[in-house]
Amino acid sequence: MDSISYYLQTVLNGILAGCIYALFAMGLTLIYGVLNFVNFAHGELIMWGAYFLFLFMGEPFGLPLYVAVFPALALTGCLGLAMDYSVFRPIRRANRLTLLIAAMGLSVFLRNAAQFFWGAEVRTYGFEVKAGTQFLGLYLTTQQFAIIGVTILCVIAVYLLFFKSRLGKSMRALSDNLDLARISGIDTKRAILAAWVISAVLAAIGGILLALDTNLHPEMGIANLIKAFAATLIGGVGNLWGALLGGLLIGLAENIGVLFISPGYKDGIAFVIMVLILLARPYVIIGERSD
Amino acid sequence: MDLLLHLCVVIAIYAIFALSLNVEVGYTGLFNFGHVAFFGIGAYTSALLTLAGIPFIWSLPAALFMAGLCGFLLSIPALKLQGDYFGIATLGFGEILRMIVNNEVWLTKGPMGLPGIPRPELFGIVFDSLPRYLVLSSGFALLTFSILAFVVLSPFGRALKAVRDDETAAEILGKNAYRFKIKSFAIGSVFAGLAGVLWAHYTTFIGPGDFTLTETILVLLIVVMGGKGTFLGPVAGAVVLIVFQESVRFLRLPPEWTRLLGPLQQMIFGLLLVVLMVFRPEGIIREKGAKR
Repeated sequence: MDSISYYLQTVLNGILAGCIYALFAMGLTLIYGVLNFVNFAHGELIMWGAYFLFLFMGEPFGLPLYVAVFPALALTGCLGLAMDYSVFRPIRRANRLTLLIAAMGLSVFLRNAAQFFWGAEVRTYGFEVKAGTQFLGLYLTTQQFAIIGVTILCVIAVYLLFFKSRLGKSMRALSDNLDLARISGIDTKRAILAAWVISAVLAAIGGILLALDTNLHPEMGIANLIKAFAATLIGGVGNLWGALLGGLLIGLAENIGVLFISPGYKDGIAFVIMVLILLARPYVIIGERSD
Repeated sequence: MDLLLHLCVVIAIYAIFALSLNVEVGYTGLFNFGHVAFFGIGAYTSALLTLAGIPFIWSLPAALFMAGLCGFLLSIPALKLQGDYFGIATLGFGEILRMIVNNEVWLTKGPMGLPGIPRPELFGIVFDSLPRYLVLSSGFALLTFSILAFVVLSPFGRALKAVRDDETAAEILGKNAYRFKIKSFAIGSVFAGLAGVLWAHYTTFIGPGDFTLTETILVLLIVVMGGKGTFLGPVAGAVVLIVFQESVRFLRLPPEWTRLLGPLQQMIFGLLLVVLMVFRPEGIIREKGAKR
């Protein structure tokens, strides 16, 4: 492979990784916007989404991928709702530290529950590895086509939902000002439930795409959480399009960065970018809160 | 008997670790989710120095200095962040540190870890048996407890609480909240480093696997369960949780169970955190005058 297409391939890989980070970050930033807290258990929605698909594709269900996706996404949505119902709703008015530690505890619980049921070993969905198709001199596997296609579909769906539907408008109103939204007669409970479902489903879609492209393991959620955080920070907290852009940027930075530094540090790039952003504009995030 | 002594040593080390986190989480309201990083820095610094032949009496202060310095340097950018995002930054730092330990093989031997760390020697006494090590670690635990109690009861400690309870009000009264947070973080890091040093010289082997998020969660649970913002809370939490964790380890269960036992134990820890936050956020011992 000549050097130009090598670099192009790197950029392409960055975009692919970035699509997945963007899906993670959009869900995270949505909950942040609506409920004003960082859901540390978001990574576990990513991981459980992927494992639910594994569950429905394996015995005793044995469903094909295209069918198994639907119950997997539905279950992850329910998991998001269950998280809110059992943990976050009772302490919605508690202080931040309480919320944050509860989310952390939930994350530990769900991560180890997956390990308890499926073991710590790396698993795959059992598709054979095929060489990618050549496309304009670049290699793309079927899974990677799916990543790009599904991400575009998700972005369109999110756009339609948030900017064209009543439910989306009420969620945005909530994100701007909860109390004002409530006295304007918006059904805040419904909007919060919808936000959890959307956040969980986006996480599951991202998790499934990631697992299709690589593999499944119980740590896959928490490992990607920091990247999703970095992406939300780049985009501005609570900003959906910012999260999309941030995710793509992190994906690109990681893959291009590996050309210059040891691959062992690839997962640290997102963190370094995060710290650099904080140093460059440290008060952006602080100024946004009104509590 | 040995088991009991071993339990006491581990409890003493984790009590130091938890007391150090309590300065940050309990008294200053900083959400440090990467506290294990400073434990690790202390452990690796002292282990590397003593393995190179430097006596413990020098490696100990060097390790504490390193942990404090790293805490100070990290806190400068990280503390410009509010609450949750500070938590994320520290979480990320913990992961970065593990990455460095794994990758800089020339220094840390990477995933192989550092075996054969010598037992500490102070004033001609080698702390090589369990009872002696217990004396050493509980001595340091007592010292930590006294120093931190002194710090927290001083005007400085009251300023930390003021920053925790109402940052704006503290600023209006002329307290520079950012500086107080940096100092609190640096103090916490130094004592986490001390716990790490004691851990490294106790187990005589350390590797990157000893300094994971799991350890941070355990120490966070100790502080939260015992009662954050109290003197005895972290100690009480350490006793309860370490006895639970270590006794499970000595239960002699069939091997096919032990594979499930690790995750199950972590599930219990996670669930405990959640249940505590929902039903009793103040922990076993409640801070005097704290709002529910």
